[in-house]
Amino acid sequence: MSGEMANEIKLISGRSHPDLSDKIAKRLGVEVARTISLNYSNQETSFTVGESVRDEDVFIMQSTATGDVNEGLMELLIMISACRTASARRITAVIPNFPYARQDKKDKSRAPISARLVANMLQTAGANHIVTVDLHASQIQGFFSVPVDNLYAEPSFLRYINENFSPEDCVIVSPDAGGAKRATSIADHLNTAFALIHKERPRPNVVGRMVLVGNVEDKIAILVDDMADTCGTLVKAAAVLKENGAKSVLALVTHGILSGNAIETLNGSVLSALVVTNTVPLGDKVERCPKLRVIDISPTIAEAIRRTHNGESVSYLFTHAPV
Amino acid sequence: MVRNIVVLGGNSHPKLVESVCNALALPACARILTKFSSGESRCEIKDSVRGKDVYIIQTGFGGNGAKLNDHFMDLCIMISACKTGSARRVTAVLPLFPYSRQPDLPYNKAGAPLFKAPTEAGRKDYTFDSVPATPAPNVPKSAGLTNGADITNRLLKASQLNGDGPASPMVNGKPNGESYFANGTNGAASVRAHPGSYTTHDYENLSIVNAFEARPGYKQWVAQAGTLVANLLTCAGADHGQKQATSLPRLEVCHVWETMRGQQVITMDLHDPQVQGFFDVPVDNLYGRPLLKQYIQQHIPNYKDAVIISPDAGGAKRATAIADSMGVDFALIHKERRPTKITERQNASMMLVGNVVDRVCILIDDIADTGNTITRAAKLLKKEGAAKIYALVTHGVFSGDAINRINASALDKLVVTNSVPQDDHKAKLGHKLVVLDIAPIFAEAIRRVHHGESISVLFNFD
Repeated sequence: MSGEMANEIKLISGRSHPDLSDKIAKRLGVEVARTISLNYSNQETSFTVGESVRDEDVFIMQSTATGDVNEGLMELLIMISACRTASARRITAVIPNFPYARQDKKDKSRAPISARLVANMLQTAGANHIVTVDLHASQIQGFFSVPVDNLYAEPSFLRYINENFSPEDCVIVSPDAGGAKRATSIADHLNTAFALIHKERPRPNVVGRMVLVGNVEDKIAILVDDMADTCGTLVKAAAVLKENGAKSVLALVTHGILSGNAIETLNGSVLSALVVTNTVPLGDKVERCPKLRVIDISPTIAEAIRRTHNGESVSYLFTHAPV
Repeated sequence: MVRNIVVLGGNSHPKLVESVCNALALPACARILTKFSSGESRCEIKDSVRGKDVYIIQTGFGGNGAKLNDHFMDLCIMISACKTGSARRVTAVLPLFPYSRQPDLPYNKAGAPLFKAPTEAGRKDYTFDSVPATPAPNVPKSAGLTNGADITNRLLKASQLNGDGPASPMVNGKPNGESYFANGTNGAASVRAHPGSYTTHDYENLSIVNAFEARPGYKQWVAQAGTLVANLLTCAGADHGQKQATSLPRLEVCHVWETMRGQQVITMDLHDPQVQGFFDVPVDNLYGRPLLKQYIQQHIPNYKDAVIISPDAGGAKRATAIADSMGVDFALIHKERRPTKITERQNASMMLVGNVVDRVCILIDDIADTGNTITRAAKLLKKEGAAKIYALVTHGVFSGDAINRINASALDKLVVTNSVPQDDHKAKLGHKLVVLDIAPIFAEAIRRVHHGESISVLFNFD
């Protein structure tokens, strides 16, 4: 950095998840920048920056609140564009829960690849760098021509399991074949057994039988997935595990989107606990669902921001969760 | 029947889509456009668009439970779905262009409406001059607010973003929690302190707006989203061409260039014609002027003796164009920021340039959003002795208090186009509101664009 004027971290927060922004700010020892976002009565979003971001290293924190994804996304784009026109040196969009991550392929005729669209929009708005957590498919990084740091909740999960259980009592279970890699990685680190639930689909749109591959008898079965949306699959998988003799079943999920009737579904399920990180604002869901536990992911994100700002390696965070 | 053309409608204005399709004698493209429970938009296009000329109609208006930003994202997703579905050309048709009008700074000046839920339509005690009651512990916060709780939450949330906002509501170090109530006096004080702010509209936000302070010495910077929206629309459709253009052989490049070119925007009466310049793709800006002119000629008796009035200096050009072409007198309302007399709070800063005594006045504007400008103008005109007041506005958005405000205003007739859905407004305003149909203009524009004919002819039929 010799010769250059030292620039600072400017943490800007959208309206979707102020709680996480505050935690990150505290962790970094900075203040959240003075900004204000409002909606006009005609519903257009307005954003005002109240302090100079000229030549600063700007980090814009915006998660996507369940049900309000498009609002959050537009607000983020407008925030990025405002900082770009206000001459920020670098703009990093911190998006813990990447919106539209599941619409990442043309799985039907004329289906939109919305994740690609979001990637293009972020770059068009002026983002120079993206920080996110547990992308649904890591290939989404390829939609960007700017660097994307995909952080993992895995180290936090490993610590949670080690603190609360003894790994030899556990079996790590993937609720579908797609998540096998994520689950085996955790199983390998803990040196525990691994099982997989295979969904038979006799015809499209018919949910077939779920078949357990592996042994969970008298073990604590830990389901691992990247997102819990309506929780239908998760709850069915839990029932299958219970039928197969699991002592108890819990689920570790990075993004607790928990839309629709998810809370009621969870409350009525055999799952003993659903552990999520706070990438998505949970609102009153923690009070409404006694089974819901929350791991704070802000130390990981804050550390990634600090390291990005200082030009240090971020890969350390892929295997270690900062305390 | 026009061949090889697909009209795809968004959710914002189904009626307009239907009329345009009828005018073109084709069925609207079958599609699924909803939201997943997570809040992400879901879009599936059921009919083939390969090699077709696709027109996507989506207006920049949120209402009926859906939000403006949802509609905009839907539009971008539809564009990109058509592009990946190998459409030959995708044209976005936006009768009202979203984010085309950007606010003045700062907020507590008039004309920058802030978020507020619509009030109940038939609020009995509403008068045009109503000034909100001072919020106090025993005074209801806002009579007639349907979902006030939601707003308080939003405000609270927003206030926590102001730098030092921990969990407890604090606004710049002052405990906001003495709270809303103590703040109420604050808010009232600031209403008094700004005699120039007429709006009865954003007072609820005064506490938060006043709480927001830029760092000393820094003039706050308001995001100007117009350019961004233009770029986003372009990137939704044209990117797949741009990205590959460098690495492809020559023949292919021609094809890619075709696809890049294969994107276009049609809109109407842009608030700032400069927005047209924000785009890298062709933008056709249609005019509502002929429609408005036709209305004047056919429905206003003795229109030759009327006065055409622009409610602000910005719209003078629009109004003079109509006045000149019909040989009608013209007047202008000038907004003066400094009030001359404290007693005349509402109109203190407005001046009429021209004579309207005992004459029919025709106000011309492009957008009526909160209705502030035209209702205030009408009030002034009445005071200056106008006989009858018409207002002709291309886009009748009518957000916030607009409907009540217009009902209570001196306006005799309000004429708008259906660039945004007007059924609700019509139901509430009754005979006061006249809606002109723009579907034929858009259908004709689509037909002409499709066949590569001139659009400008559409507006030269005097």
